[in-house]
Amino acid sequence: MSLLERLGRGHLSEAALARLWTDGLETGRASHPHLDACPACRGRYDGFARWIDGVGDTLRDEADEMLTPDRLAAQQAQIARRIEAVDRPVRVLAFPKAARAVISGHSNVRRWITVAAAACLIAGFGLGQVFPVRQLIQTRDVLAPATLTATATKDRVVRLPPEVTSLNDEEMLSDAFTRSHVVSLSAIDDMTPHARDLVLNKRNKQYK
Amino acid sequence: MAGPSPSLVAAREADALAASAVKALQAGGAQADARERYAELVARHQRRAGRIAYHYLRDAAEADEAVQDAFVKAYQHLGSFREELPFDVWFTRILINGCLDRIKARTRRERWIVPIAARTAAPGGEGGTIERDVTERVAAPGLSPEETLLGRERRREIAAALSRLPERQRSVFVLSHVEGRTSKEVSALTGLNESTVRVHLFRAIRKLRALLAHDVAGAPEELKGKRRVTS
Repeated sequence: MSLLERLGRGHLSEAALARLWTDGLETGRASHPHLDACPACRGRYDGFARWIDGVGDTLRDEADEMLTPDRLAAQQAQIARRIEAVDRPVRVLAFPKAARAVISGHSNVRRWITVAAAACLIAGFGLGQVFPVRQLIQTRDVLAPATLTATATKDRVVRLPPEVTSLNDEEMLSDAFTRSHVVSLSAIDDMTPHARDLVLNKRNKQYK
Repeated sequence: MAGPSPSLVAAREADALAASAVKALQAGGAQADARERYAELVARHQRRAGRIAYHYLRDAAEADEAVQDAFVKAYQHLGSFREELPFDVWFTRILINGCLDRIKARTRRERWIVPIAARTAAPGGEGGTIERDVTERVAAPGLSPEETLLGRERRREIAAALSRLPERQRSVFVLSHVEGRTSKEVSALTGLNESTVRVHLFRAIRKLRALLAHDVAGAPEELKGKRRVTS
């Protein structure tokens, strides 16, 4: 309080009224010597109290208008649902067992599977370098007809090249003349007449 | 507001009984019964909680959510509730903390987003106001259109003035004046000591008075001309 207020020579200020009102909340009644003695200030104080009460009422009414019975009922139902959900925790569906067994990483199985896969990969790569698998496959494809011929004439030492099949008689004979003989059959060969001799004799006779 | 009224004391006793019963039922595993009993507490405090949340957040939908969150949280942590404190004080503290968290989150959001009202407001200031709530369109029963309009305008001004108060002053004003709490209870709710509560309340009233100066000017005729006599 100011000195003037204390001496009672002036009216109460706005701040003083506010302070009196604030203090009055605790005590239930605003008391001040000047307020009791001065009807004007008492009137101002009453007006101040009415104004501040009006502000409170306005704020309360505004909020109460927002809180309609429907809104409160819906809110209450929502709270009940949420509390029920709190009491019943959400169920978590498990993954299928097989998938979980492979995925779960806390056992030694997974480690062993990883190691085996890596070992297979390294071994495969190494073998691939040692054996030229691709070349073998390509060669086999190219030699397939010759292999069949060779299978049919297993006893022959010298295999016929693939182009033999397309020769005419002359070429076949000349080839036969130049072909090397099998040593073990040379005795039989000597005893039997040769086709080439017959052909040569026939030719000589014609030219004569 | 010298102290709690007999009806308030009786209500608090009933709250304490209900809260203890819910705690015991929760501990005993009777969840359905605990929920049923807790519904009584919800029904008793729902309206008041809605009012407080609305005064803090100024948005009906967000206030709804804040109230729901507070009730669910209170139910979950009812085990930590001490009977020496009234249930409504304990619960209101949970609610206010939730509201303050929401205000902080909103402030962070609005830092990056331009509000629609700000975008639509022309530099001249016309046509930029957007109604925040459906209740503003609802006419009060039994009032003339002019009275309704004036009443709506006054509410808007008071709400705007309240929102301009610093956070602590607003909290103290709403709790002590609008909700009718004693300084001791406001102290328990806000964590401020009682004398600080009174100082905040005094400052809040002074500031509101200044912000709503024309509202004060509309006061009875005998008050005019005597506003500032002593310093």
